[in-house]
Amino acid sequence: MENLVMETTERSVMERAEQPPAPPLHAEAPMACTFQVKNLSIWYGEKRAIDDVTLDIASNGVTAIIGPSGCGKSTFIRALNRMHELVPKTRVEGQVLLQGEDLYSNTVDPAIVRRRVGMVFQKSNPFPTMTIGENVIVGLRLNGVRNQRFLDERLEKSLRMAALWDEVKDDLRKPGTSLSGGQQQRLCIARALAVEPEVILMDEPCSALDPIATAKIEELIYELKTKYTIVTVTHNMQQAGRISDYTAFFYLGRLIEFGPTTKIFTNPSEKQTEDYITGRFG
Amino acid sequence: MVTPKHILGTFDEALAALRNNVLMMAGLTERSLERAMKGLVNRDDNICATAIADDEEIDQLEKQIDKDGVDILLRFQPVASDLRRVVAAMKLSSNLERMADMATTIARRARKLNRHPSLAEVDLIRPMYDHAMSMFKDSVDAFAREDVDLARAVVPRDQKLDDLNRMAGHKLVDRMAQDPHQLRGYLNLIFVGRCLERVGDHATNIAEDAVYAAAAEDIRHQTAAVSV
Repeated sequence: MENLVMETTERSVMERAEQPPAPPLHAEAPMACTFQVKNLSIWYGEKRAIDDVTLDIASNGVTAIIGPSGCGKSTFIRALNRMHELVPKTRVEGQVLLQGEDLYSNTVDPAIVRRRVGMVFQKSNPFPTMTIGENVIVGLRLNGVRNQRFLDERLEKSLRMAALWDEVKDDLRKPGTSLSGGQQQRLCIARALAVEPEVILMDEPCSALDPIATAKIEELIYELKTKYTIVTVTHNMQQAGRISDYTAFFYLGRLIEFGPTTKIFTNPSEKQTEDYITGRFG
Repeated sequence: MVTPKHILGTFDEALAALRNNVLMMAGLTERSLERAMKGLVNRDDNICATAIADDEEIDQLEKQIDKDGVDILLRFQPVASDLRRVVAAMKLSSNLERMADMATTIARRARKLNRHPSLAEVDLIRPMYDHAMSMFKDSVDAFAREDVDLARAVVPRDQKLDDLNRMAGHKLVDRMAQDPHQLRGYLNLIFVGRCLERVGDHATNIAEDAVYAAAAEDIRHQTAAVSV
């Protein structure tokens, strides 16, 4: 019986590997948008961290979330895969539609959401007791995949997509923590890619990296956006300008302005945006 | 509305220095054009020589503004209105340098004219000069005060300058046929007229850059774009 469950899960994962992302479940959701966020508000206890945010996130593009510390950037990005629920006393109002499907519906399993919407954090966090190879395929193993050939193929594919294969292909059995900081971050990206998500969320993915490692991650983001929808939080205005197609500026939990990055960084519509990006805030 | 200062005080200082150098360059260019015209009308070689000598200082300021602009781009990576102001300042300095070159050319032509008997047709140049200088001053004012309406109003005024230049050119060519002994003199006046027409073109460029700096709108080549 256990084997049957595993084989079924494995087959569904393998089938998903062959299939393009699922189409929207609701007709009103435009194909060009992966996420539709509608009147989203989030509280941590009494504190309102996100205040009535409505925003559509384009498919196969990079959306940068900018704003001063404490403005709700990380809460917002975490709300896109329900990661913020790990914080106690969290309350959500509004809707987050992923391909038209409400992520906060009672029937939706948060674990499935997190498989469809992967996340890379500020500080690289490979599992310290696992090898490089194990780190990449751990998500698949947790989903019950046991087919070694499939796992090997996915391991190589994920590492290649994360532009790390050539650097680690002979060291797959070494600990993930033996890699440099930049390599560890790309390992985490490979780990996120291995379960074939539709979206990758990145919370300041380069803030702890040197300029060379940062450039590699930025190059990687540029290549990945042809296949994935990417939402990234960054404090680096120049990085937001380089890598993103759209930029959202948050302040005090509210979305102040959202638009094409070139517009935001040459002629923002809102004075608060202008003051923030030009360094006049405060 | 008062624009708040940057958190980085050195950024404000660098932007202010860049702007001050542009305004200083504009002032020197204006003075150089005035001297060149004075040398032409008063037949004064000394003033012409001063106008020609002015060019060196203006050239140095152009280099300084370019250097300061690049330094700001490198050190502060400006965006939005700051970026537009830096880009506009660098483009302005290029236009001002070309205007100063026009002043030098006018002064040189004036010195050549001064070697021969005076020509009454110098009077044809005066309205062109007045119009070109009015456009120039308004375009620089518009940049300095970020006055988008004033900047927009400068652009169509270039047509009148073109018309004045064309009419003056026709009259001078006619005079060449009537009085071939003064052919070189009339030719020099045609070149002076062309220089002033170019001053109007550069004033138009400055006005367009002023609109871009203040309103992030590119109003260049709009007539051509419509006709395509």
